[in-house]
Amino acid sequence: MTDQPLFEARNITKTFGPVRALNDVSLTLFPGEVHSIIGENGAGKSTLMNIVCGRLRPTEGQLFVNGAEVQFHSPLEAQTHGIAIAPQEINLVPHLSVAENILLGAQRGRAAAIDWKATVRDATHYLHEVDNSIDPRARVTSLSKAQQQLVQIARAAATQARIIIFDEPTAMLTYRETEMLMDYIRRITAEGRSAFYISHRLDEVRDLSHRITALRDGVHVGCIGPEEATREKMVTMMAGRPAKVGGHSLRDMSDRPTVLEVRNLSRDHEFEDVSFDLREGEILGVSGLIGSGRTELAKCLFGATRARSGAVRLDGKDVAFHAPIDAIQAGLIYLPEERKQEGIFPLLSIAENTALPTIDRFGGLLTIRNREMMEEVGKLAAQLKAKFNSLRDPITSLSGGNQQKFIIARWLMRDARVLIMDEPTRGIDVNAKLEIQTVLRRLTEERGLSIILISSEMEELLDVADRILVMHEGELKGIVDRRDATQEGLLELAMS
Amino acid sequence: MDTPLTETPARREKSLMARFWQWEASGILVALVVLTVALSIAADNFLSSYNMTVVARQAAFVGLVALGQTLVLLVGGIDLSVGAAAGLSAIVGSIALTQWGIHPYLIIPFTMGFGFLLGSINGVFVAGLRLNPFIVTLATWEIFAGMTLVITKGYPIRPLGEKFTVFGQGELFGVPLPVLIFILLAAVLVWMLRQTRLGRNIFAVGGNRDAAVLAGIRVGRVEFVAYGMAGMLAALAGILFASRMDAGQPSVGEGWLMGAITAAILGGTSLRGGQGSIVGTVLGALLLAVLANGTVLMNVSGFWQRVIVGCVVLVAVLVDLLRRKD
Repeated sequence: MTDQPLFEARNITKTFGPVRALNDVSLTLFPGEVHSIIGENGAGKSTLMNIVCGRLRPTEGQLFVNGAEVQFHSPLEAQTHGIAIAPQEINLVPHLSVAENILLGAQRGRAAAIDWKATVRDATHYLHEVDNSIDPRARVTSLSKAQQQLVQIARAAATQARIIIFDEPTAMLTYRETEMLMDYIRRITAEGRSAFYISHRLDEVRDLSHRITALRDGVHVGCIGPEEATREKMVTMMAGRPAKVGGHSLRDMSDRPTVLEVRNLSRDHEFEDVSFDLREGEILGVSGLIGSGRTELAKCLFGATRARSGAVRLDGKDVAFHAPIDAIQAGLIYLPEERKQEGIFPLLSIAENTALPTIDRFGGLLTIRNREMMEEVGKLAAQLKAKFNSLRDPITSLSGGNQQKFIIARWLMRDARVLIMDEPTRGIDVNAKLEIQTVLRRLTEERGLSIILISSEMEELLDVADRILVMHEGELKGIVDRRDATQEGLLELAMS
Repeated sequence: MDTPLTETPARREKSLMARFWQWEASGILVALVVLTVALSIAADNFLSSYNMTVVARQAAFVGLVALGQTLVLLVGGIDLSVGAAAGLSAIVGSIALTQWGIHPYLIIPFTMGFGFLLGSINGVFVAGLRLNPFIVTLATWEIFAGMTLVITKGYPIRPLGEKFTVFGQGELFGVPLPVLIFILLAAVLVWMLRQTRLGRNIFAVGGNRDAAVLAGIRVGRVEFVAYGMAGMLAALAGILFASRMDAGQPSVGEGWLMGAITAAILGGTSLRGGQGSIVGTVLGALLLAVLANGTVLMNVSGFWQRVIVGCVVLVAVLVDLLRRKD
């Protein structure tokens, strides 16, 4: 490695309104280097990488390529400086072929006469460097999520970038695909190209990286080499506390009555043959990656979609929910993952957001009995330790964690029996996350509520769940008691 | 077809039938054939060359507008102003001919240029300012239609003269010129969408705007061109219609909007963008013309025509739903 960094970010700060997503973060990248960025969800990894690849502009700070200062107004400008990103979320044109997606906007030939032969040939070259089992002529829609992820990597490589950002590339990949990708990254860095690498899989990070930078709450907390990067060290840097502290006590739930029984539930292309029991007052964690079928399972239980076969019993009675309203009336509630899109009504107040599904209870002769509604919402807010100025403020004035508390309160106003929560702590800061976890535990103890907690953060599941159900590619791989569960064990089970 | 890369040896293993059904426009082709056969049995004058000419000419005018609408739908937009743009362009073209003394042979290019300008207005608001296309084009629809009445005060502009009416009334080898122009432009667009970067970018922008931005495609420019071309093609239809009627009628283009959207949707173009084909739209325009013609030949009251068209659209959507479930 030479002394001149290929890329440098100096004192980067990024604010979104009042929120400081990044605070004075600096880092460098040398030719041939793999520099990993680790951190919990919401730590600022993606924000930082979006700045590097030109999708976002820093509020303060400078970027340098080969020692010269640069400013990126668009991803295209970053590309001309040799920086490309393989984003975490799938961002392909669904109805076009794999080959055309790889060379999107850069089809070979002249602008008025595309040379399809050359386009397919070149795209195939880039694709097969990454994975040679994908048909370049297939439509993107016919590919699995993992394959689509690999296509995005091929597309980043096809820009001839000297710096490629891999944002959670292995989140959806199988073991074999992951190995191939690791080889690929080693190969391109051996050629002198460099990579920023983001992953939650710490073993992968240690094996692949030359340096590892940890972010926490938008702050650079340290940069270490692979030799000192033990799992404990990395987790401590990310979490700001030693690993495994803060976990809630183990409980034995085996003598509790079963509330929800799911038997051989299947839905085409989503999940197959899922069976489990949920006991009263239990928190059942669901571990699985995006595309594992966990959200699809939750939506099906909630009656938003219909199962092809299988049975669901609530309190021993067979139930068939045709629509979410049936599930809600039976006391089974689903809190969606996309809080902004599916959970809140941004134009309504905190109180209205909380009381909306139960608003009939406050119906007066002509109008809503506001005072009673406010009182009830206020009581729950106090129970959940939510912070707010006035219940009449719009819900959007609250932080993510507090919004989440009021959404939970919404369903406590009805006597919910089973709460299915999909990534309830994603994108909210560490303290709010711990608070919500505590709230969930208290609800199970004080109200006998049963909770299905879907999370991609294994730490979270290992902290609060009583048992953990592992899903992968639509299959239930097993259910582990928390006392026997480790991150490695769960990952292995998922990949088995 | 619009995804040339999928039509390759690797896929040939699939039966011809399966590949045919994968094509968005397969349903409409079948419907068109069935309807044609049924009508030719039920009404003996349906297949006469005179009647075929009538059908083709009817398809050509709405079809030209539908071609432009297809481009806008492909980039994920919608243009409600096309009918009004056709009307206003026809009037301005007629005035240019009769009052400004522009040579009759230059009137069509002139009017198309004017139409592109009208479409650009939509383009500026939708592509440039990122406003909702439905609202923008709803507004420009009113504006264009209103301007037509302001200029004409409701009276037609006529006569346009023989040197000009030849474009709308003339024939080549027995085929009406508007039909030839329609076929020619459809062919050009098929080529453009398949073989040029602009064409592929249209699919990319409509299929996934974010991905297109990240790939370095100038998304706004692509959208702008789509709206411009929609205005241009509408203007062409409008001025050809004026030429055919030997009059710039203020009512030119009325009813073409629904026809244009219907033809595109029947042809398999998705309202969500990124999916569709020119061939499908041409077939869609033909189906609409055959339906209209058929109701006349079968002595069905003209009032029923719209009911029938509506039912056909619903059936088409249902067929599409079933196909996607396979």
